[in-house]
Amino acid sequence: MPSGSWLHQSRPGRPPVRTNPTPRRLRWAGTLRNPTDSAHQPLMRSVRLQADDSSPVHPYLRLFSGVRAGAMVSHSLALPMICFTTLWALVGVVAPFLVPKGPNRGVIVTSLILTAVCCYLFWLVAILAQANPLFGPQLKNETIWYLRYFWE
Amino acid sequence: MDSLLRGEELCLAQLFLQSGSAYDCISELGELGLVEFRDLNPSVNAFQRKHVNEIKNCEEMERILGELASTLSFCCNHRVSVCLQEQLQRLEVELGEVTRNKEKLQKNLLELREYTHMLRITHSFVQRTSEVSYEEFPFLEKDTVMDYSSMQRLGAKLGFISGLIQRAKIEAFERMLWRVCKGYTILSYAEVDEYLEDPETGEPSKSIVFLISYWGEQIGQKVKKISDCYHCHLYPYPTNNDERNDVVEGLKTRIQDLHTVLHRTEDYLRQVLMKASESVYTWVIQVKKIKAIYYILNLCSLDVTNKCLIAEVWCPVNDIANLRRALEEGSRKSGATVPSFVNRIPTSDTPPSLIRTNKFTSGFQGIVDAYGVGNYREVNPAPFTIITFPFLFAVMFGDLGHGLIMALFAFWMVLYENNRKLKNTRNEIWNTFFEGRYIILMMGLFSIYTGLIYNDCFSKSLNIFGSGWSVKAMFTAEMWNGNRFLTLDPNVTGVFKGPYPLGIDPIWNLATNRLTFLNSYKMKMSVIIGIIHMSFGVILSTYNHLHFRKKHNLYLVFLPELLFLLCLFGYLVFMIFYKWLVFSAKDSREAPSILIHFINMFLMQGDGVPPLYPGQTGLQIFLVVIAVLSVPVLLLGKPIYLNWLHNGSQRLGMYRVRGYERVRRNSEEELYLMRANDMEEGSSHSDLSSSGDHEAEEFLHQAIHTIEYCLGCVSNTASYLRLWALSLAHAQLSDVLWAMVMRVGLRMDTRLGVLFLVPVFSLFAVLTVSILLVMEGLSAFLHALRLHWVEFQNKFYSGTGVKFSPFSFSLLPSSFEHDGLL
Repeated sequence: MPSGSWLHQSRPGRPPVRTNPTPRRLRWAGTLRNPTDSAHQPLMRSVRLQADDSSPVHPYLRLFSGVRAGAMVSHSLALPMICFTTLWALVGVVAPFLVPKGPNRGVIVTSLILTAVCCYLFWLVAILAQANPLFGPQLKNETIWYLRYFWE
Repeated sequence: MDSLLRGEELCLAQLFLQSGSAYDCISELGELGLVEFRDLNPSVNAFQRKHVNEIKNCEEMERILGELASTLSFCCNHRVSVCLQEQLQRLEVELGEVTRNKEKLQKNLLELREYTHMLRITHSFVQRTSEVSYEEFPFLEKDTVMDYSSMQRLGAKLGFISGLIQRAKIEAFERMLWRVCKGYTILSYAEVDEYLEDPETGEPSKSIVFLISYWGEQIGQKVKKISDCYHCHLYPYPTNNDERNDVVEGLKTRIQDLHTVLHRTEDYLRQVLMKASESVYTWVIQVKKIKAIYYILNLCSLDVTNKCLIAEVWCPVNDIANLRRALEEGSRKSGATVPSFVNRIPTSDTPPSLIRTNKFTSGFQGIVDAYGVGNYREVNPAPFTIITFPFLFAVMFGDLGHGLIMALFAFWMVLYENNRKLKNTRNEIWNTFFEGRYIILMMGLFSIYTGLIYNDCFSKSLNIFGSGWSVKAMFTAEMWNGNRFLTLDPNVTGVFKGPYPLGIDPIWNLATNRLTFLNSYKMKMSVIIGIIHMSFGVILSTYNHLHFRKKHNLYLVFLPELLFLLCLFGYLVFMIFYKWLVFSAKDSREAPSILIHFINMFLMQGDGVPPLYPGQTGLQIFLVVIAVLSVPVLLLGKPIYLNWLHNGSQRLGMYRVRGYERVRRNSEEELYLMRANDMEEGSSHSDLSSSGDHEAEEFLHQAIHTIEYCLGCVSNTASYLRLWALSLAHAQLSDVLWAMVMRVGLRMDTRLGVLFLVPVFSLFAVLTVSILLVMEGLSAFLHALRLHWVEFQNKFYSGTGVKFSPFSFSLLPSSFEHDGLL
């Protein structure tokens, strides 16, 4: 767990200038790489400064348009917690009462309860592990420029 | 559901079958497949049983049918025939005769044709040689006849031997003739143009017609002997032309006749076979059934009056009514006046286990049974395995794209499950996949879910809700100055905006320290899932304790086990959650290592590190003490209690009240259940003499169980870390495949790249399916299976039972199908 300093000494920065516009497609989280990039190139990618940094776009569009979206949405912990708890509670507590009587009723009820418990637990562990992060992601230069100007 | 959870209740029943209607009753039962017969004559040799002759007849019929089926190329099933055995024997005799006749005729035909060839070719010899004059035979004249009388004028006996020989042997034959007869023979030969069938091998081969002219009787005999030795077919050589012509004419007519007769014979044979083919399939099944019924009749015993057959069967309690109906039906069919009836008898033997499944649950029951069939009426892990097994698989497989492919494949199999071609192939591997189609479907669906949570789709992440990490804030806080790497610091305001609502944040896919975060997350997740799974297993054992009415087990076995597990490892889970919730980036420097705290808990040290929460030391000491105390309770509690019960009952045995109580309590179920659990109980109520032995055995048994359980808790918890290991391996393999294969094609120049991408994608697809789906899928399947069989089931399942195998015609194996004849 890197709790020490993350500052590294290096060369001073240069004004950003944009060169190749990358295609606007589904925003896969892959590393942006220029074929001519090599280890000893200048550390920054040139990216043109856009006039309007934060145009508010509906968050839903962000997935499909790849257009530069607005500021990062701040996620709360409470809203997803409520949503998913109610969802899996519906599956695991309410749905068993709705299963029609038949020879397979027991199996279906058991399956519903177990599914709800397993899936809810798995989601819960994932969100709690990220709720209070002790350290953040370490990103390369190109990634930083990409995120700076495409995700925010 | 009760049947799937626990298995059905079975009882022992006696069938009293009237001799006349025994066959029909058993036939009815075979159609329904209700009951399992017990062998009432176990000491009797197979050859001394009552119906051994009938079984021999059935096997004879099966042999005939086997030969019949192998001469047929098709069959269809209609028509029911009576007097099966007579029919089959008649058919066999007829077929045999016709075939023999046909062979004889063919042999005859061959001879005649050879003779014809020989005559024709030797005629050409003679015609040819007549133009050249032999010095040895100066009496050869212009006319082409070898005149016998002119030969005799010389006083020399000129003889001819003619026939056919295999082409392969002609040179050796010639050499042998030369050596033996020292030049006193002349051999002329020529090849026959057409292929003649060799009667021994049946293959077409080339023959050579030869004509040997020899001088002298002794040489003639030598030549004859040599020809016999070389398996030549000898035919009489005609002395003059007229004779030759007559013979040729006669041969022609005979050949024509033979052809006609052969045609007729073949037609007749074909007709007979066609008639038989219509019913051969039915006959096969009938013979199978007859044989099975006689096997069962051999298992029954006759009663004293010799008029009634007694059979003992294991029958599900719910099916006794059906059994009665079947017997009535059988009696009615055979026209018996006295009906056969069934009588339920109490027994102390353990019945076999019957669990009824449908097409969905049978796969999961199969993988549980592969470990061991459950004891009679103990808890069956299968209904829980339906969900937990695919879930644990998915935790290890966790990829949205791969899960989707797997689910689609399984869905296709399920949609076409009634397609005969898919069901009845002989390919073992395909059959295995097909039988498990519902398992694969569930595994695929859960993998889609875990892939969504792991945010991994063909090694790429989806960004649906927007990442919770902001790079811009690092710029505004001026924390970045053009270094090669930047680690986002959650302490800076605005950098971390909240946890991603569904799964792992997509930014981690772009980070270089991705594995540091993921390893910590996945390890903790594996431990949490493992401890919950194991606790569930321990809790399931209460079902068994309650059902078999051993309440003492609840307090003396279940409670210490649960306390031990939860006090130590449940507390570990609590600490994990506590650290997640309480410690954030602000106090990241003081964030404690859970492992160190856990170890300190056992060593009762806590001074070096600051406590997680106030009162931690006290609570931990308390938990450790409880856990340590529960070990001797687990070890000694049950043996001491049973011993006390046992001694107590002996002492108070004189009180009739207690005796009556015990008799009343000993219902039939408890009787044979207690017998079944003799090992565990260690004290059989009817066996008072060897109590000392039972005590020691019981104590040893419990000691082994305690050691296994306590050590197992630690090792099994660690074993669940394979969930982390395999999911890491899968993610890395997927990543490597993308980086090394697909990205190479995507990074190329546009015009060339479009062409190049097609083979690159095909390579990517092939490797994905073969390595990531098949290999990793099998690996994750195996490990999920191991987690169930060992870590989950050894908390409550014994799996040493016998499966209920009913007498049913549909379950009989078909040897004909195995040989591929039907």
